Amino acid sequence: MADSAEEIHKSVKAFKKVLLALMILTVVTVLLSGVEMPTHGMNILVGMIVATIKASLVGLIFMHLAHERSTIYKVLVFTGVLALAIFLLTYWTHGNPLINPKFDSQSAEMMDHLKH
Amino acid sequence: MEIPYTVSARPDTGLFNAKVGIWLFLASEVMLFGGLFSSYIFLRVGADYPWPIHELEVWPGFVNTMVLILSSLTVVMAWASLKLRKFGAYKLYMTITVLCAATFMGLKAYEYNKKFHHYSVKLTDGTILTGHLDKGYYIEFGEVTSLSLAFPKEKSPIGADVENYVLNFAEGTVPKFKTPGGQEIELNQQTVSELWHEANAKDQFSVELTAVAPLKFKVAPGDIFGYTTNTLSFRDGTVAKGKLLDDRMTLTVDGIDTRAVADEEKSLAWNKEYFGENWKKVFLARRDHAQEEFNKKYPKRNPEKSATLQKHREFWHIESADPQAGLPEGKEHAAEAKVPGAEEGHAAAGHEAGHGEGHDHPVVVLNKKDIKFFSNFTPKLNTFYAIYFTLTGLHGLHVIAGALVLLYFLLFNGKMLKTNPEHLANRVEVGGLFWHFVDLVWIFLFPLLYLL
Repeated sequence: MADSAEEIHKSVKAFKKVLLALMILTVVTVLLSGVEMPTHGMNILVGMIVATIKASLVGLIFMHLAHERSTIYKVLVFTGVLALAIFLLTYWTHGNPLINPKFDSQSAEMMDHLKH
Repeated sequence: MEIPYTVSARPDTGLFNAKVGIWLFLASEVMLFGGLFSSYIFLRVGADYPWPIHELEVWPGFVNTMVLILSSLTVVMAWASLKLRKFGAYKLYMTITVLCAATFMGLKAYEYNKKFHHYSVKLTDGTILTGHLDKGYYIEFGEVTSLSLAFPKEKSPIGADVENYVLNFAEGTVPKFKTPGGQEIELNQQTVSELWHEANAKDQFSVELTAVAPLKFKVAPGDIFGYTTNTLSFRDGTVAKGKLLDDRMTLTVDGIDTRAVADEEKSLAWNKEYFGENWKKVFLARRDHAQEEFNKKYPKRNPEKSATLQKHREFWHIESADPQAGLPEGKEHAAEAKVPGAEEGHAAAGHEAGHGEGHDHPVVVLNKKDIKFFSNFTPKLNTFYAIYFTLTGLHGLHVIAGALVLLYFLLFNGKMLKTNPEHLANRVEVGGLFWHFVDLVWIFLFPLLYLL
């Protein structure tokens, strides 16, 4: 963590650069959303990548995560894993026979293969 | 009791305690918003209607993004200024941060307010008309012959509330009724109470009153339980017998959306009494133009798979009461040959709204039988607006909470500036960390809801 006056002056410069980068990336996001990519899914993917870059800048520089104590990283590792699990739920749902009727026939086929 | 480690670091963590605390809190916040973002994905993937893309006005979201980014800088600058003991700069940066929060919420209020007054009307064939109900939407029910009051035996929360509720919707002169006993009465607290006691004494659950003076009701659909051509049922069990006078909806239209219609050329919108042939011809010209443009620009792509093309083809954002104004650029002449005179175009969709918002929009009068569902742009409309309001509403609450904390530091921790600036710097750092998190959430919300 920046504590000496000199270090703080240095980080202030970094803060201003990050502000500029965030503003530019916001404009980029808006412009990219107007581009007709081969699929709309690609638009979403690119938009989310830019948003993730912006979020990382805020986290690493504004929230000082680039230089932080290990206690905080330990907390965030758990958060990261659990948050990932929550997002994977959307993917795992496809294996749910209630939501994806194909699942049953697929598993039945698999069972058939195993028997022979 | 002295709270330990507010200024100096606790030896084992190397951090002052509040910082560990705020990060634990932020970790739970990540899970809260993570769950909601995950719900967004579920709702979008599973939507059984064209998910609204490019539907929200971009500029307020864009300005708000810039405002939050700026405030993220100012709050971290406030912290840095405090660390450098520049107290003037600290106060200035904190003030700017709080003003940014106020700007953000102001724009949010503008956006929400617009949605509350904007309506989406789904017709029975799937056509969606969007617009404004400048005069509201009311059901007129008149020539009332009798009023049947429901009197449950026990004192129950549901029971006749004629004088406070039903009569609110009566129009004209003071309504008078004849009781089964032949007495002529006006309905007020005393007479209704007497009727109730009388009915209870006789083990009757309702009393039928005959209207003596002419009686007419004007109600919004949400005010009542239901209606038929000759009855009007109120939510307290009161039923009026009479005649349905008018239940048509006068809508000032600003958009026609045929994306959910099997054949957009046969949409109910083109009925003679609604928009008619002239509007349809312009709509088709716009549709074909969008298709041509797409084919020219992206000859190798499958037009069926483009959500934006689908929107350009089948959603007409109307900005004028004259259908001709909606013709695609450069097509005015070509279409003029096909589309007869403009005056005729007005015959179906009138533009008599005259004043207010409807001034330059067509007005249609919709028959109730053609309306499947209508709502303002609130969570009730569809899952997009449900998750939109949940996410932005919760985020807005965070903006308010964060701004209040920062404002508290600015206004009430002035003494600490002199006595213990390092402690205040730590407080601002913790408040700032929360503020950055709020900004971080918005960084994802803006593209997801407004742009993609």
